[in-house]
Amino acid sequence: MFFSHLPRRINMKEVKVEVIGPEPACVRCQTAKKVVEKATEKLKQTGLAIKVEKVNIISKEIIGKYGVLVSPTIAINGVVRVMGRVPSEEEIGKLIKHAAEKGV
Amino acid sequence: MNAGLIRKIRVALLLLFVFVVVGLLIYSRIMAYSLAPTLEPADFSKYAWYEVPFYYLWDYISHAWICLLFAFTAAGLVYEFTPKEVITKYMGSGKVTGYAIGAGLAPFFTVCSCTMVPLFAGILYTGAGIGPAITFLLMAPAANILTILITGEFLSWEIAGVRIIVSLITAVLAGVIISKTSWGKTIEKEHQISQGTSTAQQTIEIVKPPLDERLISALKFGGFLAKQILPYFIVGLIVVGYVTAYIPETVVESYLTGITGVLLASVIGGPLYTPTLVEIVLGRSLLQLGMSKAALLSWLMGQPYDIPNMVAVSRITRWRVVLNYAFVAWVCSVSFGLLYGLIIGSL
Repeated sequence: MFFSHLPRRINMKEVKVEVIGPEPACVRCQTAKKVVEKATEKLKQTGLAIKVEKVNIISKEIIGKYGVLVSPTIAINGVVRVMGRVPSEEEIGKLIKHAAEKGV
Repeated sequence: MNAGLIRKIRVALLLLFVFVVVGLLIYSRIMAYSLAPTLEPADFSKYAWYEVPFYYLWDYISHAWICLLFAFTAAGLVYEFTPKEVITKYMGSGKVTGYAIGAGLAPFFTVCSCTMVPLFAGILYTGAGIGPAITFLLMAPAANILTILITGEFLSWEIAGVRIIVSLITAVLAGVIISKTSWGKTIEKEHQISQGTSTAQQTIEIVKPPLDERLISALKFGGFLAKQILPYFIVGLIVVGYVTAYIPETVVESYLTGITGVLLASVIGGPLYTPTLVEIVLGRSLLQLGMSKAALLSWLMGQPYDIPNMVAVSRITRWRVVLNYAFVAWVCSVSFGLLYGLIIGSL
């Protein structure tokens, strides 16, 4: 993408952020996704590799992996971190940084 | 100033706001100031047709704002501070727990209707089965914090209490009946994920933000709900204003009382049901115009017919389940309406 020419730091794995909500997305899930995208935009400029995905909450895969969820849910690297609320940009930023350093 | 102090000040200010809202409600109680509107249907005769909505809206808003403010604040706070992990943790752990959580706890999560269908699917898939899933689906709109508060304040706390109990029985009954049928079991098997929830628990590590952020997020959610619901509520009020002004009492008295009244209320209350509190306002007007309390109960039990939800659920489980739970709910709404009417002597 646009920032791919920036040097990636070694040992930094790509952080996978899943925004989990129903399809079609409810209002709060859309807000959650926007917040996540804004936060990642800033972090990408510091050289972090982040992948954001919008996932359907009503699928066997997701429910089998995480259990019953309250939308909107945000999972980072396969761990549910935020459930049933819209977090602030700052909070999501911190969580992603944490995941980039420690894996979760 | 350091960050810790700023946080403390913010918490104090937010709590102050919450206390003021609660205080207003208590104060209005003490001063016996009616939080429900005061216009009687007869008062409308002196207004021209174009004046009706203004007077009606003004009557509602001038009296009900305290109650609405309280209800939306409370809904936000309850939603924010109910631990949502509980549902993930215990939902797969057995039938009885499933029903208990579906009926007792889940309604607190569902002031926002967009969370209902995902939760329904989640409960169905994780092994608690189709029974608790349906119990949850039928219980949620009847027993969420917003509906209870508004029913209690605008109508009466008696009918609010009866509504909860009766909805609980209906919801559990519909769940149990459908889970016992052979096609219900087939659907359950089709959707169940075999591995259970043991792996799921390991992948959940919810972060808790500091108290000031939680309070802000709670109030924001209350505001979000108000933004979602109030436009419909106000449009609903205008319509109800005209109904109150122009439907003659004789019509209501002859059609919405007795056994016919219960039957009719259960049928028209259904398709008219919208999860926007309007059913409460319209029910209140019809009660003033002479509808029996028995019919009012049947009227308020129209929640299973919420059409967008029915469509969404049918996509997951097919129409048979939807039609059956709607039928069980309708039978219950009629029987409980009649029973309630016989007990209180207002049929």
